[in-house]
Amino acid sequence: MTQLLDLPSNRDEAWRWADLGGIAAAAALAPVAAPDAEFLDLPGAKLLFVDGVLDEARSDLGPVTLGPVTLGAVDAGDHPLGRRASHGWTLRLAADAAADPVQVVHVATGRENHVAAAIELADDAAVQVVETYVGAGWSNRLARITLGKAARLMRSVRLLQAAGFTSLREEATLGEGASLVTTVLGAGDAGTRIDGAVTLAGEGGYAEFGGALLTRAEQRQECAVRVRHAAPNGQSHQLWRAVAADRSVASLAAAVEVARHAQKTDGEQSLRGLLLQRSATVNLKPELEIFADDVKCAHGATVGELDARALFYMQSRGIPPARAQALLTRAFVADALDRIGDERVREAFVADADAWLERAL
Amino acid sequence: MLKIEDLHAEIDGKAILKGLTLEVNAGEVHAIMGPNGAGKSTLGYVLGGRPGYEVTQGSVTFDGQDLLELEPHERAAAGVFLGFQYPVEIPGVSNVQFLRESLNAQRVGRGEKPLSGGEFLKLAREQAAGLGLDQEMLKRPVNVGFSGGEKKRNEMVQMGIIDPKFAILDETDSGLDIDALRIVGDGINRIMRKADKAVLLITHYQRLLDYVQPDRVHVLADGRIVRSGGPELALALEREGYAGVAA
Ligand SMILES: Nc1ncnc2c1ncn2[C@@H]1O[C@H](COP(=O)(O)OP(=O)(O)O)[C@@H](O)[C@H]1O
Ligand SMILES: [Mg+2]
Repeated sequence: MTQLLDLPSNRDEAWRWADLGGIAAAAALAPVAAPDAEFLDLPGAKLLFVDGVLDEARSDLGPVTLGPVTLGAVDAGDHPLGRRASHGWTLRLAADAAADPVQVVHVATGRENHVAAAIELADDAAVQVVETYVGAGWSNRLARITLGKAARLMRSVRLLQAAGFTSLREEATLGEGASLVTTVLGAGDAGTRIDGAVTLAGEGGYAEFGGALLTRAEQRQECAVRVRHAAPNGQSHQLWRAVAADRSVASLAAAVEVARHAQKTDGEQSLRGLLLQRSATVNLKPELEIFADDVKCAHGATVGELDARALFYMQSRGIPPARAQALLTRAFVADALDRIGDERVREAFVADADAWLERAL
Repeated sequence: MLKIEDLHAEIDGKAILKGLTLEVNAGEVHAIMGPNGAGKSTLGYVLGGRPGYEVTQGSVTFDGQDLLELEPHERAAAGVFLGFQYPVEIPGVSNVQFLRESLNAQRVGRGEKPLSGGEFLKLAREQAAGLGLDQEMLKRPVNVGFSGGEKKRNEMVQMGIIDPKFAILDETDSGLDIDALRIVGDGINRIMRKADKAVLLITHYQRLLDYVQPDRVHVLADGRIVRSGGPELALALEREGYAGVAA
């Protein structure tokens, strides 16, 4: 517990919306019974971590190896939360390797746990990774992602913890023509901090980093993502939707950085918040730092409420108010979840969002 | 079927309806005409239960039940349908989903069994075909990118699927060309011209009444019914204008 003394401070701009008290409280949560593992019915490797330790009997490693995660020479890991994780899983795929999805379920039963992951795709390799967080406690993760030339990674993460805190530090480097699509759904009752750093290092890279954060009661969920265009002809999209009910707070900070020689960059940020009650808060902070002159960067940030005219229209057709709110909210979130390419995965995520709506409305 | 007595209603503290009395019996079609700003749409919204439209005096009963006590969705389940003057666009919710949710919520509200996906689609296709609405539009988000005329047809498709007892149609004829007007008029007759149903047709023009013959015509001005009569009243209005007839 002494480690908690060196958490960052809210006085630090990058952490000003972070629920640091929530992390400390999560780490102190008394043990709870482990919930079900929640694997989706997909082929491919399945990894089950219980409190950060692999449950080998209930896992099927496939192409994944375990142990100390080598994080590469570039950066020994200086993220204030991410640096706590050093052991975990490594996925190294060659171009011709089988491309079945890799599923990872993280079960927490109280206290704190830390796991690191290294995902390294060789040139032309392609894979889908689906991760799910359930249980209670502080689950802290570091993912270091390296994509070779034209490699493709589709990554979908659902945060479904019933209590506690989930913090994700995601660092990705994309080679020439590589593609990374990361979609996060926060639909549990835990606090959240998603910290992303994506670098388009090679020419013509493509990155999406987005998702939906659904918060209610006193919950606080937050994401802070920075996409760096370091080479020309790259494309990036950060499409986030935040829905906040009751007295909860959802915060989105998305930055795009375009280096001087990263000409013809096409960057898009779309941050939208929806307040289900006026007592809730959505913070949005889009940021552009452009040092090249021939770039196209679109950004929008808006916070609103459900359309009262649409609600009345639906009710006048017989739809009860809670259901009308759920349908409109679902439509609001759909843009973000539509980015998940695999229909089976997308449907599971939509079902989780629906379950959240049932609880919140 | 519908009995409105001395109805007063206001929006933001401003009195709009000022003592409106009207009775519509089963099997009847009543037309309400009147100048812009008279309170015609307000009457529709008050009957539908739109938030912000506050009834300060009077009563409305529907089949003997106090309509004003019901929530908007309960009014729908009771059999009241409001066709909007300006149908609302709902991005991200498909017409099919919206209509199926609507119909099944009403059926469940009345203690009936919800329709299956297949049963519903069959019904939706029939109604869309009957009103000349492209089947593709059933899949599109509700009213998004629809022309004015398509929105009005879509309202009538909804009415056909929901099959209400009582319909308030607020300027359903505006935005329709002459062919569409006939199709919509035929649709209203087909769906609503029945012994156990009734219609309140809000319109500015005689032309819809050429297709849907009203039993009674009322002139609404400044929040009240100032004159009532048979179909000949609509013709007189067309000739002489509101100023002449309502004076
Ligand atoms: N939301 C509103 N707030 C204040 N006044 C309104 C509002 N909506 C309508 N009104 C007023 O109520 C009166 C009646 O409007 P409406 O019922 O739409 O008339 P009609 O449909 O007969 O043209 C008008 O004077 C209009 O300006
Ligand atoms: Mg009107």
